[in-house]
Amino acid sequence: MTLRKYEYHGILFLLLFVICSVNPSNATAGEPTEEIRHTTDRIIAVVSDPALKSPENASERKKLIREAVDERFDWEEMSRRTLARNWVGRTDDEKKEFIDLFGKLLERTYLEKVEDYSGEKVSYIDEKIDGDYAIVKVNILTKNDREIPVFYRLKSKNDKWFVYDILIEGVSLINNYRSQFNSIITRSSYQGLIKKLRDSVEEK
Amino acid sequence: MEIRLKWLLNVVVILFCLLFYSNTYAGEDFPQSSESFRHEGFSQQNKIDDIKVGSDYSPGDEEGIYVIPDPFEPINRGFYIFNDKLYFWVLKPVSTGYKKVVPESIRVNVRNFFYNLCMPIRAVNCLLQGKIDGFGIEIGRFFVNTTAGMMGLGDPAKKVFSGPKYDEDFGQTLAFYGLDFGFFIMWPVLGPSSLRDTIGLAGDMFLDPVNYYVKDLTNETAVNLIVRSYDRVNSTSLVLGEYESLKRSALDPYAAVRDAYVQYRQSKIRE
Repeated sequence: MTLRKYEYHGILFLLLFVICSVNPSNATAGEPTEEIRHTTDRIIAVVSDPALKSPENASERKKLIREAVDERFDWEEMSRRTLARNWVGRTDDEKKEFIDLFGKLLERTYLEKVEDYSGEKVSYIDEKIDGDYAIVKVNILTKNDREIPVFYRLKSKNDKWFVYDILIEGVSLINNYRSQFNSIITRSSYQGLIKKLRDSVEEK
Repeated sequence: MEIRLKWLLNVVVILFCLLFYSNTYAGEDFPQSSESFRHEGFSQQNKIDDIKVGSDYSPGDEEGIYVIPDPFEPINRGFYIFNDKLYFWVLKPVSTGYKKVVPESIRVNVRNFFYNLCMPIRAVNCLLQGKIDGFGIEIGRFFVNTTAGMMGLGDPAKKVFSGPKYDEDFGQTLAFYGLDFGFFIMWPVLGPSSLRDTIGLAGDMFLDPVNYYVKDLTNETAVNLIVRSYDRVNSTSLVLGEYESLKRSALDPYAAVRDAYVQYRQSKIRE
């Protein structure tokens, strides 16, 4: 029974192979995937550039990564979704302050993740678009042969796709921060959360 | 008779390898069309269809956000601190030392070996959930990896079965039949769990081959513990730094671990 299935797959693969080699520029990959690919390639180019590896270039390296990330991530959307019901009723200044601090925290987390980059392979698996929203699936193959599925959630704004959530092995970054922030707010207060956020961001 | 049957199975499995190795391999670089993706099951884990497009949240509407009950939070937080110290004071130094001595390729082999060994847990839970395909693939993977993969040290089955791995356990089976998490439990040493998954863990003990291999030894419990500790040290040596980075990026590490556990289990159950 399984034999049949795999036979069929083999044929499909061969067909795909033929189609793909005839048309290498590949029209099937859509826009959101292209934009994720663009950002990823840009970041990989920076982190694997030997000229930027030396300690005196560390800040330049960080700056370049930050630029690439800023262009693709929608910090406000992320903040809104993370604070959830606590977003409603915040003043504009509070919102601004939160976006700034939370954006810095996410940036640092992301920076530290990519700083560890050591030739992991990124493959673009699939994408799904529904109106203004899209998901792009990516697989990261680590050096010790572990495959990590990553999903980017994107929202389109002015004809451009922006990331507002990342799911790594099924765990959504935004959902994770939301439950942490809820827990902190219930145990202390919104001001307590801001203080913790600021301490963490200013730590380094 | 029995030996002949084994041989026959081996031959079939090897033929299987030869026949489909090239095809699956040729396809690996072309996961482009989303239609083909759905058929092939390129992913190891959750397919894109399991994830909702758009959001499970917009301000004012928080349905769909699951918060696990945590009635024993103060005790759990205590155990979390204990586990944290256990990691930094014992597990991490030991694993770091081990990592320095043993090359990565061997550590990956050991990880594969333990994973392969636990096939019965995955296969039986596939059956219990009616995943006949998964059952077949788990058995097939076991045969390929035990023979061609040298007692499970290698993972040549990855090239034969392009579909997802079926990492099922009894906790997921209970979820399949509608049992909820119950509440969150942070076990000392064992780490994050829930009422349901703790029952699941106990159920899986009956299927865990390690328990049967050590059964008639004189120091059964001691050997069992040593084997499990070794497995733990080995697998930790491959993910050193991950817990540290989670902790650094978290504002409330306990809540972060609790939520990550819940989301991770939910994604496994969705599969």
